[in-house]
Amino acid sequence: MSDDKTTHFGYQEVPVAEKQQRVRAVFDSVATRYDLMTDLMSMGVHRLWKRRTVELAGVRRGQRVLDLAAGTGDLAEKFARIVGPDGEVVMTDINEAMLNEGRARLVNAGVVGNMDYALANAEKLPFDDNSFDCVTIGFGLRNVTHKQFALNEMYRVLRPGGRALVLEFSHPVSQPLSRAYDLYSFTMLPIMGRFVAGDADSYRYLAESIRMHPDQETLLSMMEQAGFERASYVNLTGGIVAIHRGYKL
Amino acid sequence: MTVETTGDAANDAGIQLPDTLLAAAEALLNRLLALDPEGAARLSAIQGRVLRIELTGFGTRLHVIPTGDGLMLHGSYDAEPDCIVHGTPAALLRMAVSEHREDEVFAGAIRIDGDNGVAQTLGDVLKGLDIDWEEQVSRLTGDALAHRLGVQTGAAGRWARRSGDVLTRDLREYLIEEGRLLPGDDDMRAFLDGVDGLRDDVERLDAKVARLAQRLGAAGPR
Repeated sequence: MSDDKTTHFGYQEVPVAEKQQRVRAVFDSVATRYDLMTDLMSMGVHRLWKRRTVELAGVRRGQRVLDLAAGTGDLAEKFARIVGPDGEVVMTDINEAMLNEGRARLVNAGVVGNMDYALANAEKLPFDDNSFDCVTIGFGLRNVTHKQFALNEMYRVLRPGGRALVLEFSHPVSQPLSRAYDLYSFTMLPIMGRFVAGDADSYRYLAESIRMHPDQETLLSMMEQAGFERASYVNLTGGIVAIHRGYKL
Repeated sequence: MTVETTGDAANDAGIQLPDTLLAAAEALLNRLLALDPEGAARLSAIQGRVLRIELTGFGTRLHVIPTGDGLMLHGSYDAEPDCIVHGTPAALLRMAVSEHREDEVFAGAIRIDGDNGVAQTLGDVLKGLDIDWEEQVSRLTGDALAHRLGVQTGAAGRWARRSGDVLTRDLREYLIEEGRLLPGDDDMRAFLDGVDGLRDDVERLDAKVARLAQRLGAAGPR
């Protein structure tokens, strides 16, 4: 853990105040090519990771769902199609370029009527206590400066009985996989970033930020610290990704 | 309305369908539904309700969650289902293609728990899909060719159905009568009656042993 004055930005230590701006610059740079790059980087497997998240969220008709750091809105779109006109999905992102990209995509896909958008910092959510049945954050938590604040906020806005899910890159559980994965992320990713999105540095940051993100057990204890009960996690693709889930009871 | 369900661990028991297969089936199904937008829109009545199909004998589970105009298919879905349909794959298949779906339910081959309306609506929508195949093909080939193809395909379809029926009948006859590889209807019925009779006998014997043991216990040790 870093002290109060500096925090991680990938492998670099940067002043806390600067991290948010630098993360914003990364996502401003990748916003328009984000979906294509995600497909390339994960070789399409991110769709299965998101499907599993939807399964564990178990959202149903009429519920109110908050999707944080929603990016281009893959999860939010699925939830909106499930909750129907009686429910509501609020899609938020701290980055305006990403949120606009997501909104344009969803409107084009015909997802309207039960979808709201908010430019919001996950550390300080502009929503009432106990106002959502489900809160999700998919591939967003590692970019948040103070992760514990974000988890606390997720707990605060959940209704009793509600559940929160964190879908995030994590730490591979086996050594050989870990080595292959390192090789892939530090050589292939920046190359793909340069050719497809014209920006190798942003993708190097993504690879580094994944390594600096808390491992499965640490994140689990952070969720418990935030107040979540029956917190647990499942590893996907050998722990490259994990879904943490906790309830507010 | 929700029905009782078991926890997470039970979701993974039995033979489960791979997620990639379900994702592919979901995409295919939604592409089909998109060909009849009016029919698919009727799914909105059951949007976001959870239907679980349980394949008896395999422990396989399939969750169907209707969206406004399509379906999501998941192996597990962590919400209490509104409706659960239990049945063997054969019985479910028979119900899917039968004109009188309730027959399988009355025959006891299919059990439905919870809100039957969800399963009913889903079945009606899928069955009532009105897809104009000729129109779909004409987008690729032009009207004239598509129409000719349509006529040919119709004839071919009728021929295939007829030949399929004959083939099924012949194969069945061979396996049962000629090869004696499969039991006939009468043999099968006699066997099942025999199993039922044996089960009843065992239960009766069990009850009798229990009664004797109780009497022995009441008499006390000598």
